[in-house]
Amino acid sequence: MISIDAKKQIDAWILKYPKDRQSSAVMQALKIVQAENKNRLSADTIQAVADYLDMPGIAVQEVATFYENYNHKKVGKHVIRFCHNISCMLNGADDLILHLENKLGVKTGEVTPDGLISAKKVECLGACVGAPMFQINDEYFENLTADKIDQIVDNLK
Amino acid sequence: MIEIEINGNVVKAKAGEMLIQVTDREGISVPRFCYHKKLSVVASCRMCLVDVEGAPKPQPACSTPVNEGMKVHTQNDKAKASQKAVMEFLLINHPLDCPICDQGGECELQDVAVEYGSDISRFSESKRIVPDGDIGALIQADMTRCIHCTRCVRFGLEIAGMMEMGGTGRGEHLKIEPFLKEGIQSELSGNMIDVCPVGALTSKPFRYELRSWQMHSMPNIARHDLVGSNLFVQTYKGKVKRVVSADNDLINETWISDRDRFSYEGLTHKNRLLEPQIKVQGQWQQVSWKVALDYAVKGLNSHVLKHQKVNQLGGLASSTATMEEFYLLKKILTEVGCDNIDHRLNVKNLDNVITLDSNIKLGALEKIDYALIVGANIRLEQPMINHRLRKATKKGADIDELNVMAFDFNHPLDTKNITAPNKIAPTLAGVLKSIMISNTQELPDYLLAVEVGEVANNIAAKLLNSRSSVIILGEHIINNEDASTIANLITQIAQNTNSKTLNLSITANTMSANWVGFVPQNSGMNVNTMLASDMRGFILLDIYPQYDFHDLETAVKAFTKDDTFVISLNSFKDDIVAGYSNVILPIASVYETSGTQLNINNDMQSYTAAVKAPDEVKPAWKVLKVMADLLALPSFHYADSAQVLAEIFHQPQTKHTHDENVNLTSKHHGISIIWQNSPYSIDAVLRHSNALQKTKIGQMNSAYMNQASAETLGLSADDKYLGVPVVITNTVADDCVFINANQAVNTQGQT
Repeated sequence: MISIDAKKQIDAWILKYPKDRQSSAVMQALKIVQAENKNRLSADTIQAVADYLDMPGIAVQEVATFYENYNHKKVGKHVIRFCHNISCMLNGADDLILHLENKLGVKTGEVTPDGLISAKKVECLGACVGAPMFQINDEYFENLTADKIDQIVDNLK
Repeated sequence: MIEIEINGNVVKAKAGEMLIQVTDREGISVPRFCYHKKLSVVASCRMCLVDVEGAPKPQPACSTPVNEGMKVHTQNDKAKASQKAVMEFLLINHPLDCPICDQGGECELQDVAVEYGSDISRFSESKRIVPDGDIGALIQADMTRCIHCTRCVRFGLEIAGMMEMGGTGRGEHLKIEPFLKEGIQSELSGNMIDVCPVGALTSKPFRYELRSWQMHSMPNIARHDLVGSNLFVQTYKGKVKRVVSADNDLINETWISDRDRFSYEGLTHKNRLLEPQIKVQGQWQQVSWKVALDYAVKGLNSHVLKHQKVNQLGGLASSTATMEEFYLLKKILTEVGCDNIDHRLNVKNLDNVITLDSNIKLGALEKIDYALIVGANIRLEQPMINHRLRKATKKGADIDELNVMAFDFNHPLDTKNITAPNKIAPTLAGVLKSIMISNTQELPDYLLAVEVGEVANNIAAKLLNSRSSVIILGEHIINNEDASTIANLITQIAQNTNSKTLNLSITANTMSANWVGFVPQNSGMNVNTMLASDMRGFILLDIYPQYDFHDLETAVKAFTKDDTFVISLNSFKDDIVAGYSNVILPIASVYETSGTQLNINNDMQSYTAAVKAPDEVKPAWKVLKVMADLLALPSFHYADSAQVLAEIFHQPQTKHTHDENVNLTSKHHGISIIWQNSPYSIDAVLRHSNALQKTKIGQMNSAYMNQASAETLGLSADDKYLGVPVVITNTVADDCVFINANQAVNTQGQT
């Protein structure tokens, strides 16, 4: 369930914490396991992480459902996280989200038919200075406009 | 001690304790949801906010330590305003479906809302709804009602030792749910119902039955283990409707096992035996008590007593009988002149029995720093005792096991020493030798040749180094070929290390049977001798041979002999019992009779009947008393069971003597079979409790063995062994089959 390579990466994180506190590595472990499972977590992978870190399954599930960056449903190759919190909202995020949905042809929370892109609405990503903004995978895109969105999305492969 | 002021009154308090502990002790009401006296403090619900002078904001009483001179107001405007505000928030998403909620009438949220809630809701948005999964046969989840106090989560983590519920999602999407779809599996899970302050977790078998105020609540004692947990039996119109726990810090604190909580369901099972029956010319007839008892007494007279064949009469009882019942059955047989009585139905060799004191209090188990468990799956067999051990491990105690299989413990084990049945005695001998060498004592002859392995040395060192330790002997040893040697070695090890011992090889009310001496005295025969002899009469108290005897075939053969007259007292219908009995008398089951339970600490707990037994069913002590009267035996003048108990107190207590021999020369080879009824199949009422039978523990039915044993026996994973499905696992020791069965024993091949 967890590849040898992923286990090596998790072990490296475990070493950063005191002995018998391997559960502290749970967030990194979930991230690593998610990355090698089509960018999503299933009950089985969560249980595998729990077993590997000697934690109760539900305790890992708690973490995995708390943070937005863990995906429990099918997602695209690229995940667009569109902020719609106050600063972005005041700067027109809602209209831009509609624009993005029209551009992609699917609603937020869904995946494009080719499996390339999925988008979701998220709360503040701490980049209010550049509102409105979204995040694609690990990268921030700020001061968005409709044209800029079209350009960014067209460049996704 | 310090002094603080609460609402203008000066009260004494211990420095550092939490404010809510002081108000609870003083009887000052402070509302709360997340705080529970036996669980950790999280201060998440904020309901217990009180005004502390000098503090800028109201403080949660559950997590505010008291200080000398502190001035607290629980009822002033500031405190009340905070509590009302919190209440309003808690009610925002609560459905207020009290009329259809099972918790209605005993709901902490309801009670607090009456006092602190507002008449009119200012919340006009839509409330959230949480879909519920099936979380098992015992607990009904209605999570829309949940207020996220996390008591059930903390209960799982801190008490049950398995975190099953958790808070998933976040913010408005937070919900309390289990992870696995298999549902809740802890043997203590029912306590989540008790700790839930709202109607989110309620009893599934009790669903939509009644309101709490419609029922009578009677104190009673649990019968399914050696603890005798205190509980309340709640009844309505003469039927047991629910069982909840009662507080007794010396015995069960505030918890009870699922076994004790849900066994009552069996009482109304369609298999209940409701009328006396006699077998005339092979045909069963339902008759009145008078006819049945006359027939029984006539049968005893003609088969046994008239012919001066008193020695061919036997009395056997299962461990579920009350102390009074053991005593009366014994007295009947003694008065007619025979001593053939026994309760040790599942012991193969009664010359090789366990004799071991239990000399540690339940509360003291929490304070040990080392425990050695020999032959017990203690979590499932004695859940409340395991709970105490778990508490000890949380304070740092080490626990080792010397078991034939690696069982699932809910606390850390220092080492799992998986040991074949025939290696347990040699290992313990090694422990004793290692200890005596360390103590520079002279070794007795039988230890000279003993090899001391690493396991033995480790255990010995831990026993010697611990401040207070306990050695626990469990059920899996009763039919071990070295049973008495193992017990005697443990006694000696304990003596040499100042350890305590705990004998968990017995069950239910066996302590009472031993107290009144329900074992053969003088020339009396034990159960195995009886079954092998030419008996002409038996009185059998609550016996179901296919579950109670180690050897069903021999037992049934002995009872079925042509000229053997068998009187059976049973609570449930049973084909095998009907096959051999001449008279079957319906007797009361749990909560239907008064009686006395003796627990492992010799706490004698008497209880009264919570309900009258149904139809023609009578308490066994009454049946035995009337039978004695009809046999014209003198001195059976009891008006109630309390008089029987009073008489028991005037009897000299039976002294049990036993040899202290250690015999390490036994050379049993081949595969040992350890047959155990699974935890929810140990007595008749449990076997008829539907909800318990549906749980994962209730479904336990496996013959565990390792690959080598399976090959020796010619079995594969799809086979059955003695009728029980085979599970091949390397967690079982060599040369051993460990069976947990929820079905009747299959005698084929059972040796």
